[in-house]
Amino acid sequence: MKFDIFFKPLGYLDPGTGSFIIQMILAGVLGIAVAVRIYWKKIVAFFRKDKSGGVQDELDDMDEYTDE
Amino acid sequence: MSNYHTENASFRDPSGFLFYKEDSLYRQVNRVYQRHYDHLMNSGLYDALVDQNLIIPHEEVKGIESTQPDSCYNIIKPERVPFIAYPYEWCFLQLRSAALTTLRLARVALDYGMILKDASAYNLAFHKGRWRLLDSLSFEIYQEGETWIAYKQFCQHFLGPLALMTYKDQRMSLLSRLFIDGVPLDITAKLLPFRSKLRFGLLTHIHLHAKTQTKYADQGESREQVNREFSQQSLQNLLESLRNTVKGLSVKTDGTEWAQYYQDTNYSENAFTGKKSVVAQLIDQVQPETVWDMGANTGEFSRLASERGIYTIAFDVDPGAVSQNYIQVRKDRAENLYPLVMDLTNPSPALGWAHEERQSLMARGPVDLVLALALVHHLAISNNVPLETLAQFFSQICENLIIEFVPKSDSQVQRLLLSREDIFDNYTVAGFEAAFCQKFDIIEETPLVDSERIIYLLRVKHSYNSIT
Repeated sequence: MKFDIFFKPLGYLDPGTGSFIIQMILAGVLGIAVAVRIYWKKIVAFFRKDKSGGVQDELDDMDEYTDE
Repeated sequence: MSNYHTENASFRDPSGFLFYKEDSLYRQVNRVYQRHYDHLMNSGLYDALVDQNLIIPHEEVKGIESTQPDSCYNIIKPERVPFIAYPYEWCFLQLRSAALTTLRLARVALDYGMILKDASAYNLAFHKGRWRLLDSLSFEIYQEGETWIAYKQFCQHFLGPLALMTYKDQRMSLLSRLFIDGVPLDITAKLLPFRSKLRFGLLTHIHLHAKTQTKYADQGESREQVNREFSQQSLQNLLESLRNTVKGLSVKTDGTEWAQYYQDTNYSENAFTGKKSVVAQLIDQVQPETVWDMGANTGEFSRLASERGIYTIAFDVDPGAVSQNYIQVRKDRAENLYPLVMDLTNPSPALGWAHEERQSLMARGPVDLVLALALVHHLAISNNVPLETLAQFFSQICENLIIEFVPKSDSQVQRLLLSREDIFDNYTVAGFEAAFCQKFDIIEETPLVDSERIIYLLRVKHSYNSIT
């Protein structure tokens, strides 16, 4: 795909070759990692007695949408 | 155009630049960014960001002449942010909040077909009680297949420092002061202990990331040589993985030396209440717009100002105290109070290209009123700063000063003198007044009940700031 100057992403940051390649390597792995984590969290939550997440969780809720 | 000047913190990004005209701040949107800017405004992304309190709102202005008219597409005026603080002035929880906000900005942008094109911690501001993006030109139109261009920057500005603070020490945040574009990943990887590799997110985003950078640094493999596509799902997984990693990092926020200060002090209940009412009364007398509370601890006295609607910065050297203060600010949803980590004996310097990218603390003043409560003995005795030098410093950062003199007979000063020789002959009420009267006029002088301490209201000599 070719873009003229007005259509090309500006990309003033140098993303770094290594940073680009690691993302390509991680592309396959991270999907699995994210899925595993969701199940792992459910297992941990099931066995944990204290359900309150503490101050950090309270702050997190203010800073981000909870996707769950 | 003599009343124009360009803000030198914004020269890197060709999308536009900041400039001042008659003390108002404007941002020029360059033609080269036109399509992306139009998409931001017309896709609904900008409105969504404003609705969700994720961006400093701007308005498009007409009739402001550009200094670079050939490249000018539009000129916008962002809402004024009274104080710009930097990542090395944030406590762990603040950097963590800013990191999560950055990732949230990236997620919301994707919903509108845009991607966050930089992930600089300097683009975030804590304004009106929320973390918000300062730079409206941080997005570009997303093209499926692209990796995240800001990935390295996110790891350098946020993930690395947060990991170092978690595994080593909260003061590792100061490393950000040495590196203008975030802490290089090879350094972070070397400093982190082996057990950090047991955490999947740090193993990949820091350790393997650093290794890959080193491996490909000299090989010059260009992006075109790798033909695989990075799907939008992969991008979302990457953002989610970074988010999980950030959320897994934490430090203890209490139990540091100062966080318990108000519980441990030798104040009687009476003296404490009395001090509060004296300070409150003096604040009302000055009626400042902005207050800097130097040595604020957890912000007990800062709140006397901020709860009166005065914009207040609460500086303290102890990250634990700043964390406690920050937690309280968030719980109260306070809009006027900004706790920051600052070592007054070595405050933030001017940094970056030509020393103009990041301002020193003093360059961000002066303010109407400074509070220096239970502070002078730490600076004069623990740090050996002569009283005249202290007076000189304070006269440069404020118009009015509420300062507490803590005499040698006070148990807190006695504690400081326990382990050292008393070489402070002029550390007396008379010596204090003589030193400060070179720069200030004494407006009020109130001895505290149940104590030998004195609270002064001082005003800088030749200041035209009126006191009613």
